[in-house]
Amino acid sequence: MSPTTIGILGILIMVIIFFSRMPVAYVMGMIGYLGFTILISGKGGLNLLSRNIYDVFSSYGLTTIPLFVLMGQLAFNSGISHRLYNTGYKWLGSTRGGLAMATVSACTAFGAVCGSSPATAATMATVGLPEMKRYKYADELSTGSVASGGGLGMIMPPSVVLIVYGILTEQSIGALFVAGIFPAILVTILFIISIYIICTISPEQGPPGDHFTWKEKIKSLLGMGETLAVFILVIGGMFIGLFTPTEAAAVGAFGMLVVSILRKQLTWKGFVNALYESLGTSCMVMMLIAGAVIFGKFLAVTRIPFDIATWVSGFNLPSFIVIGIVIGIYFIGGCFMDALAFVTLTVPIFFPVVMALGYDPIWFGVIIVMVTEMGVITPPVGINVYVVFGVARRVIGEVPLESIFKGIFPFLLAIIVGVIILIIFPQIILILPNLMY
Amino acid sequence: MDTFSNIIEWILDKLKMIGAVCLVGMTFLTCADVVGRLFRHPIFGSVEIVSFMATLTIAMALPYTQKNKGHVGVELLVRLLSARTQLIVDICTGILSFALFGLVTWRMAVYGNTMQKSGEVSMSLELPIHVIIYITSFCFLIFIFIVLQDIINNIRRLKSK
Repeated sequence: MSPTTIGILGILIMVIIFFSRMPVAYVMGMIGYLGFTILISGKGGLNLLSRNIYDVFSSYGLTTIPLFVLMGQLAFNSGISHRLYNTGYKWLGSTRGGLAMATVSACTAFGAVCGSSPATAATMATVGLPEMKRYKYADELSTGSVASGGGLGMIMPPSVVLIVYGILTEQSIGALFVAGIFPAILVTILFIISIYIICTISPEQGPPGDHFTWKEKIKSLLGMGETLAVFILVIGGMFIGLFTPTEAAAVGAFGMLVVSILRKQLTWKGFVNALYESLGTSCMVMMLIAGAVIFGKFLAVTRIPFDIATWVSGFNLPSFIVIGIVIGIYFIGGCFMDALAFVTLTVPIFFPVVMALGYDPIWFGVIIVMVTEMGVITPPVGINVYVVFGVARRVIGEVPLESIFKGIFPFLLAIIVGVIILIIFPQIILILPNLMY
Repeated sequence: MDTFSNIIEWILDKLKMIGAVCLVGMTFLTCADVVGRLFRHPIFGSVEIVSFMATLTIAMALPYTQKNKGHVGVELLVRLLSARTQLIVDICTGILSFALFGLVTWRMAVYGNTMQKSGEVSMSLELPIHVIIYITSFCFLIFIFIVLQDIINNIRRLKSK
């Protein structure tokens, strides 16, 4: 059998085993090891296992992951979500659908200190859903806006998916982070427009809330102070070259800890919980990377990624069609698999293809994060939908899953429009990285 | 069997605590290094210590994450199967995981031994790298015991059905 045939067989077996619920990281590692053993040697395969796992665990570049995860967990436990929501509410609450608009804006702001999409959705659902219920918002709009807004946490830096993409493709994490800022703002604006359209068509979906004076509105901006300060310190520090990503992550985690202590909103129990949650999430991410690295070594030996790149270029298809197909695969894959797992699995395969077409690696990274973000709100996996379903049951009572899925539909359209805009105007993504130090 | 499980649980708990301490340690050390650098006094070898602490953080979290089913899997099809078939599938994947990480544990120890024999040390502080590799191997050992525990529990449940 040729290396390519073995590679294709390996991929097929891997996909079959995926459906057995075995952790994705383990399956990638196992298939990578077995494939490498068959193609190279038994000893080579065994060395690949131990050395690659240790190299991933001990990589200084990857220390950024547990630190950024800790920063997000501390933000989750610090109560800043309430203050961010309050600011959004004071500014937007009096308009139709204003509370939903405040929710998605607060999601973006919270995403600036938290790199996880489900964590953002869970936090903002806890804060936003009871308020929207109080103002008689339709369940579809309230839960849909929280679940979709949570996805913004993945685009707005710091983003765990962007870090992993950066490591796997050897791109600057700082550049990827700043590249995500404008797309996140663009999607937020598109979400707000969607809410405006929904509430114009059916005003009962989001009745207007209380009015506030300009003095109250301006005073509420103080609630954003600490989030903005930590964000500017972390992302700004990387932007001007003051910190490496690891240093920025440590400073951010420390900053969030200080904010939480000063605000007296972090209990010892909350702190310990944040640490243990960070351990679990970081371990999950690092094992995914280790699995992807082992699988990537096997793929490289089979030469499949390069063969696909050559095969695709042989068709002489316009590059936008190829990128459209790749994006379509990410969209479908994101519907069935966790975004991070899907990115780690497919980047070694598609990255050479996209590079051969001459696309910018930073642009591609942000685009695939945007596309897989759709997966967190689409059935059947749609992790954010299940997170919001769980939180809603606790804070406002049972909301049928169908209502939440129905509610995310307009936001899904908004993300698709956002992706199309970013494909037509790649400068939106690239302007900030190009200005970096 | 229960005593053995209790010992494993106890070790898991301690490893988790050490992992959390390492996480806090790497946060503070990196911040101290940044501040020190501002005053032209960076902490010598901080990058190495942070890398070691990060390795320990992740390695120590391995059994805890496995115990809490913290890894991402595709649940889609398995959920549609009967409870009994789900248990059988879980036992099979558990055995595969056990075999894979059994190999990892063994090879990690061999790798540590190779590094020890070659006298490999870190570049700045000349810390012995093999110690960290041995600890990582030990964490994988506890990890595979957790996997084994899951397999045994699933077999028990299957028998009682």
